[in-house]
Amino acid sequence: MFKAIVSADTLESALDSVSVLVDECKINLNEDGLAIRAVDPANVGMVDLSLAADAFESYETDGGIIGVNLARLEEFVGMADSGQLVQLELDEETRKLHIQIEGLEGTLALIDPDSIRQEPDLPDLDLSAEIVVEGRDIDRAVTAADMVSDHIALGVDTDEEVFYVDAEGDTDDVHLTLTREDLISLEAGEARSLFSLDYLKDMDKAIPKDTEVRIELGEEFPVKMHFEIAEGKGKITYMLAPRIQSD
Amino acid sequence: MGNADLRQLAAIEDVAFDDLDGSVVAIDAHNWLYRYLTTTVKFTGSSAYTTGGGEEVANLIGTVQGLPKFLEHGMTPVFVFDGGTTELKADEVAERREQRERYEDDLETAREEGADAETIATLESRTQRLTETIRTTTRELLELLDVPVIEAPAEGEAQAAHMVRQGSVDYAGTEDYDALLLGAPLTLRQLTSKGDPELMDFEATLATHDLTWEQLVDAAILMGTDFNEGISGIGPKTAVTLLREHGDLWAVFEAEDCHVSNADAIRRLFLDPDVTDDVDFDTAIEPDIPAAKAYVTGEWEVPASEVERGFERIDEALSQTGLDRWT
Repeated sequence: MFKAIVSADTLESALDSVSVLVDECKINLNEDGLAIRAVDPANVGMVDLSLAADAFESYETDGGIIGVNLARLEEFVGMADSGQLVQLELDEETRKLHIQIEGLEGTLALIDPDSIRQEPDLPDLDLSAEIVVEGRDIDRAVTAADMVSDHIALGVDTDEEVFYVDAEGDTDDVHLTLTREDLISLEAGEARSLFSLDYLKDMDKAIPKDTEVRIELGEEFPVKMHFEIAEGKGKITYMLAPRIQSD
Repeated sequence: MGNADLRQLAAIEDVAFDDLDGSVVAIDAHNWLYRYLTTTVKFTGSSAYTTGGGEEVANLIGTVQGLPKFLEHGMTPVFVFDGGTTELKADEVAERREQRERYEDDLETAREEGADAETIATLESRTQRLTETIRTTTRELLELLDVPVIEAPAEGEAQAAHMVRQGSVDYAGTEDYDALLLGAPLTLRQLTSKGDPELMDFEATLATHDLTWEQLVDAAILMGTDFNEGISGIGPKTAVTLLREHGDLWAVFEAEDCHVSNADAIRRLFLDPDVTDDVDFDTAIEPDIPAAKAYVTGEWEVPASEVERGFERIDEALSQTGLDRWT
């Protein structure tokens, strides 16, 4: 049994954060809320999301797992205007999701969860630096790096106590430095890792500009980016595996 | 190329590339190259891979375009090259040469008559052969890319099958159904095609037909192999039934009053081929991409545009780590 009413905006932000990495996912219907964990087919980017029951107008379930095609579900939810409510109800017999938005009603066929890639194990990471920035800072760094390269290096300079972003292309390069004053907080530790911009651009799309993002960074380690949606009732963590630095 | 009728006996199922992540595959290099030559050639003008001196090196384009598929899926290919040609197979090699000469005549005629490009491309693909230059340059390119290469004492596919039995690799990679006769426990097919590969399972094949390895080989000899003509009128089903009924090849010969010459030697080529345990390779691939590029586009005059994307994909596949490294 699953029956919930949620604002279209909340549901959209949650789904977007997953659909930038995968086309299909399992949604765990827990009594305290929804949970999704998914990794892209190349095993490079992972999302771990929880949307608490109190992020919903109403939320009832006795547990279970459903498999969804994210693009289809997003299309349905996209029919709602900002501020409208979306009602979701699972039809156990037909294994379809009944969706209602104002006068609009529809059903979405679900996917057999067993046919979807297994949920990944969480990497066990010991990351030395922690930086808290605004979403817009990540957007700025990614946009700047994208002008010149396919890769982006994120690092912390412990002497200068700065968080920096480097991108080097074949001919051009950019360098962005954020000092302690520019950051919301900084726990400095030796850290520098190189990442694929393709992935970071996709993740950036799903990170609200005005939210705080807590970045955990290490030396040639995956990066973790934590942020919240739905006034803190939705929590999302992205993990991205590094590229090997050739020099 | 093995008898395609063996497919009717083989236990085969599709396998997702995702499930092959981290595996090591012994590729029958000649079989793989042959595939790439016949497909690459179809879509590439011959000027792209013919040097000023008239040497054809389509294999270099094929190798650069074919490798990313393994690496992007986290697989390590180990290329196994043929050593000497098996004596019995010499007949088949001669036959193929004759056929190719016929195709070459056809091609010449088609060109003279001004046939359309597609016809010419098809004929060109049939005339492809693994020249000495192709064998050598493929090896040299693989070395620059740090991809493991093994020299088989005789047949590459027998050596590949042996390496799976021995456990030094996870799969054999070949289109050839003979991998079953050679006892390769798990063989991947369709590695060069679009879509998922096929997994051919040796033990499951034996279990399905309730045959021993020897009996499977005997059935194949009745059906016909690279080394002998089959007995007229005996297909896969009949062959299996006869083996189950009579036990082995010689009992079938006696009961059916038929004969295959050299049967004992042919049997040994599958059951006890000339292979080596002395295989040593490093699965950590650290290619020298600039050197490989220079080799292909400089030394062998292949236009950079033909191989640029392939090299990029190789570089990309090897420098991006996966999160599973930390779990």
